[in-house]
Amino acid sequence: MPKVVVDAMAMQRALTRITYEIIERNKGVDDLVILGIKTRGVYLARRIASRLQQLENVTVPVGDLDVTPYRDDIEHDAQNEPEVTATNIAFPVAGKKVILVDDVLYTGRTIRAAMSAVMALGRPKSINLAVLVDRGHRELPIRADFVGKNIPSSQRERIKVSVSEIDNRDAVEILKA
Amino acid sequence: MAKRYLILEDGSAYAGEGFGAGATTSGEVIFNLNLLGYQETITDQIYHNQIIIFAQPAIGNVGINHDSYESILPTAKGMVVRDLTNISTNRLSRLSLDEFLQQHNIPGISGIDTRHLIRKLRQAGPMKGSIVDVADAHAFDQLNATVLTNRQVDQVATPKPYPNPDTGKNVVVIDFGLKHGILRQLSERRCNVTVLPWTASAQDVLNLDPDGVLLSTGPGSPLDLGTGVLDMIREVQAEIPLFAIGLGHELFALANGAELTALPVEYHGSSHPIRRIITNDVIYATQGQGYAVLAKSIDRDRLITTYVDLIDGTVQGLRHRDFPAFSVQFFADGAPGPHESRDLFDEFMEAMTSREG
Repeated sequence: MPKVVVDAMAMQRALTRITYEIIERNKGVDDLVILGIKTRGVYLARRIASRLQQLENVTVPVGDLDVTPYRDDIEHDAQNEPEVTATNIAFPVAGKKVILVDDVLYTGRTIRAAMSAVMALGRPKSINLAVLVDRGHRELPIRADFVGKNIPSSQRERIKVSVSEIDNRDAVEILKA
Repeated sequence: MAKRYLILEDGSAYAGEGFGAGATTSGEVIFNLNLLGYQETITDQIYHNQIIIFAQPAIGNVGINHDSYESILPTAKGMVVRDLTNISTNRLSRLSLDEFLQQHNIPGISGIDTRHLIRKLRQAGPMKGSIVDVADAHAFDQLNATVLTNRQVDQVATPKPYPNPDTGKNVVVIDFGLKHGILRQLSERRCNVTVLPWTASAQDVLNLDPDGVLLSTGPGSPLDLGTGVLDMIREVQAEIPLFAIGLGHELFALANGAELTALPVEYHGSSHPIRRIITNDVIYATQGQGYAVLAKSIDRDRLITTYVDLIDGTVQGLRHRDFPAFSVQFFADGAPGPHESRDLFDEFMEAMTSREG
């Protein structure tokens, strides 16, 4: 039985809090751009952008990055290092404050790949990382600036994030291997 | 039951049947539009020195139970109802409303045309009133000579600190006349609470090394509390996650440069849709306010408006731009309901956790 650790209400609340923390940390929304990491990070990025729009009446540009699948349920080895295969970023990132958004922070390799891709497009003023779930087990020196929920997990477990846009519901679940 | 009168300072008198205590009392006459929750209402200290007219016509039909006290010693000055239903078959009921009011020396009067009275008060604004045995010239003289205190918070808030221990987060509650619903919600989340008197300084608060600070609800006007409390809020909000409710919200707004306006008529009810701006959806909550934050006085470089009342347009929630400090005008503890804003306490918990980083 999957165990639901974040329900729909808690997910809404986490995104709301992350939005406020982004405003707090950046002293407003000037020069902010949000980049979602496919697949679910994109929807979370859009939700954060729509919250900023509601609060500040400012449209923050949202783009997305497609990182080769690097899933925690696939055996990882040297051949499986993630890289960004496509981007959909219709605005310059040079001089901007970039917020990367992903659903789960695990080894940190996806984020490293995403950062490299952003750097290749231009020199941002800063890059911050917002994640819905931090499950630990980092293999690189990376940490999130905005965390929805810390879920200490075993490496044998899977963390499954569902978002209503494509999964018809909002939830974070732990699946036993 | 004895015939008694509700008299108002405009010279009108309403005859009804007395219930509860036989005391003669004076207070500000206000009305409450909630359909449920008369026990929470009569025991809430925001009604200190007020005579409450209940719009719900049948009052008393669930008695008085253990779970719905909002204070130990209620200090409302009276209940005005259409029909008193003094028989309760509710399984939670411990005693009747009539017995309860006798214990606390609060008079009630029933058989009053509450619809007419509420319409009148909506037009005329705030009015003093008394519940008396005889509506003669002497009673009116007494009423007109009555000066209502503006020291309500001093009357009902704790003069000394006290603990409400548990095993979780350390929370300091600043008491302006808090309703128990606030402590109940913190207890449900295992908070280790210390309640401080409202005169506490920022240093008093910081000395307790709290994870979070909550500014409670309370009666009266925040403008009567002086500027010391505003200094305290400014200092504390920069250091520690802060959550403010009701009177606390009004003080939080004042401390951050906003202005208040007295509403033409106090609003007590739960039927106004409230827009949560960030997600653009609607919630309902119990509201009780005589003052509101003036929307155009809000400094947008310091505060973000987070909730707004869709009926009267009043500001219902604020958040500080630079600190994890936020406030709501409505009663997020949901006592009485609706309960849908209780997750603001979860938001407060997460603000405390997130800060540990």
